[in-house]
Amino acid sequence: MVALKNIDFVGRWRIWFAVSGVFLLICVGAIALGGFNPGIDFTGGSAFTASGVQGSPSTAEVRDALPGDLGDRSIVQSVGEDGYEVRTPVLSEEGYTDAEVRQALEEELGAEVSVTSISPTFGGQIRTQALQAVAAALAIIVLFISVRFEFSFAMAAMVALIHDIFITMGFYALVGREVNLVTVVAVLTVLGYSLYDTIIIFDRIRENAPEAGYNRQRYEELANNSIRQVVMRSIYTSVCTLIPVVALLIFGESTLSDFAFALLVGIGAGTYSSIFIAAPVLCLYKAWRAGRVGSGKGRAAQSASS
Amino acid sequence: MTNRRNNLIILGLVVVLIGVAAYLIFVRQPVAEATRLGLDLEGGVSANLQGYKTNGEEVTRDEMDVAAGVIRQRVDSLGVTEPEIQIQGDDQVVVNIPGITDADRAVEVIGRTAQLGFYEVLATAGGQPVPEDEIEDTKESLQDELEGDPTFEEGETRILFEESPAPDGSGTIVQGYVVPDEPELTGEALDSAVQSQDQAGRREVQMELTSEGGEGFGDLSQQIVDNALANGTPGGGRLAVVLDEDVVSAPVVDEPIYGGQVVIQNQGSPGGLPQEEAEELEVVLQTGALPVNMEILSVSSIGPTLGADSLRSGLLAALVGFGLVLVFLVIIYRVLGLIADLALIIYAFLLWGLIVAIPITMTLPGIAGIVLSIGVAADANVVIFERIKEEVRRGKTPRTAVGIGYQKGFTAIVDGNLATLITAFILFALASGSVRGFAVLLVVGVILSMFTAVVVTRALLGLISGRGFHLSAPMMGVSKKSLEEGRPARAGKAGTEARR
Repeated sequence: MVALKNIDFVGRWRIWFAVSGVFLLICVGAIALGGFNPGIDFTGGSAFTASGVQGSPSTAEVRDALPGDLGDRSIVQSVGEDGYEVRTPVLSEEGYTDAEVRQALEEELGAEVSVTSISPTFGGQIRTQALQAVAAALAIIVLFISVRFEFSFAMAAMVALIHDIFITMGFYALVGREVNLVTVVAVLTVLGYSLYDTIIIFDRIRENAPEAGYNRQRYEELANNSIRQVVMRSIYTSVCTLIPVVALLIFGESTLSDFAFALLVGIGAGTYSSIFIAAPVLCLYKAWRAGRVGSGKGRAAQSASS
Repeated sequence: MTNRRNNLIILGLVVVLIGVAAYLIFVRQPVAEATRLGLDLEGGVSANLQGYKTNGEEVTRDEMDVAAGVIRQRVDSLGVTEPEIQIQGDDQVVVNIPGITDADRAVEVIGRTAQLGFYEVLATAGGQPVPEDEIEDTKESLQDELEGDPTFEEGETRILFEESPAPDGSGTIVQGYVVPDEPELTGEALDSAVQSQDQAGRREVQMELTSEGGEGFGDLSQQIVDNALANGTPGGGRLAVVLDEDVVSAPVVDEPIYGGQVVIQNQGSPGGLPQEEAEELEVVLQTGALPVNMEILSVSSIGPTLGADSLRSGLLAALVGFGLVLVFLVIIYRVLGLIADLALIIYAFLLWGLIVAIPITMTLPGIAGIVLSIGVAADANVVIFERIKEEVRRGKTPRTAVGIGYQKGFTAIVDGNLATLITAFILFALASGSVRGFAVLLVVGVILSMFTAVVVTRALLGLISGRGFHLSAPMMGVSKKSLEEGRPARAGKAGTEARR
């Protein structure tokens, strides 16, 4: 607590940006190296989920149970204590039907098998929709903050949000979790959440900021004070949200735990970026703009305000 | 005093709302049936179909409405309870059928265009039984053969195939037919279709034609007889009954048929048509054709066990998360935390009531939405309470601090929640099906949480402090040490204010 009070959030931006930079570099690297594991939502294909499997067969046995050479081109994973998930390429292109594969699995595993299959056309549609949703969210958020605050706040919030998206996606690439529609939903949720966090800090800066006049040193001190005033709230809030998210990660089955994983990473990144990225960027942007407007004007405003 | 009255009114309203929610959840029906469960929790088949036209024209909303109506009738005829059919966007339809697991069959029935057509056969080829794996090759060679036939003209005629099991079980008989591009008669001529059996007990489907259809059929058969005579093959003309792109039968017509009954049968097998096929034909013919073709975008069939597992784990996660948040709030905010906990419990109960009242179908993403909204609801209190603690540290009396906390915290909460609402609306607008469930619950949860976390906690706090209950700083989780530390900060703040 005492330590938090003494941190220079804005002045030491080089340190905070460097920390993020290292993470971003690793994340972007992981994404660039093809670490993404797109699910059938985006590529098309079928997913078979068996629950209540009898006599714990090995993944190789499950693979062998698939007709033809399908086993070699499918992803077989065990899920929970007695479940299996099998993801195959688009079956109609392979000359099989969902029913054939399902029956084969049901016989081998002696369990109920659920199927989801998605056509490649639909996969493409979902992909487009997902990208549109994220782009639309970012655009509307810039507009919203510009209206409620001012454009410089929107700029700073945007940098923080893009930071969070890259970190979340990068972690997905790093651990090789399947990226699907749920991931996109989680990313959008993270956007909303991280924005909320940022807004709470910005709200305090807005409240503390003098009506007129800009002075770099004073503004940065004010931003630092504002962050100090709300930093505990940011941490408590994150804990409040992360508690149920961790519960989802531990107790939820695959869909819920996927969702929780993205939220866990995203909310972590979001809390960091609200404090250590958004506010410093805001201050740097303000300073850069003041410098561009011209020192004469800046000085005039300064003398007018004091 | 007016404040106190306002608080009482608000709390009275909360009590009424709780009463209504309790009625909806527990009294109106058994509690186990109160919440409508989605397919991913209950088990069932969900299919997403996209309408398209073979000629590349745009599918209109009207056509999708008609299609959805036809699909509804077909699903109803499967004898399932509470199917859900929704048009999504301009050209997609989502069909949810609880309680069944045979996705392939359901989709076959739902998505079949069932465009019926009666054609005069201009030329035929094939007729030899072939093994299963040679059907496609046979079709290709028949296609080549028929394209060389003098009756075939690109754009005027087309080639259709019939597959039927050989009577001696030695494979599949594949026949190709050259027919005019457009049918003489379409499904509009059909009045009804019903399963029946012929004298030998073979299963067949009888189609009854309308009176107009019967006449048209008579004319068509007359034309076939006449043309056969003119071609020098009297009595050898054939009529093709075509469903979608498949010839279901092509009987020889040796005399004009008036009367309006057409039979689809399979004389090659002792049982006639396979039972499933007969049922399917009956359903799709009886309900009529879809105005557009349907492409299957996605199908999922969730078994009841998997659904129940998901529900159990989701609920467990939600409850554990909820419980831990309650504990956490008390640890950090003591008495204030207790009040927040009470508000959270009210929130959870009212949310359940809303889910039942609207009603919102509970899905897996929906549970995720609820879990997240618990965090959001708790957060509103964290924002306000942190502000209150801050004011107390600056030396304000607890009572004043509470007032300032709510006043100043409120803008931040509104702005923050608006941000969440924006993303939820975008999710709702752009996404489909299950994702919408998440978005809807997030929106409902956020709005409700603003009520319980801001309005209700304020009324509760106002009421207990009005009752002479003295809230001291330690009761709010503010330590003596931080009280002393806070004093200089107050001076700093005052300085800022003076400069303004």
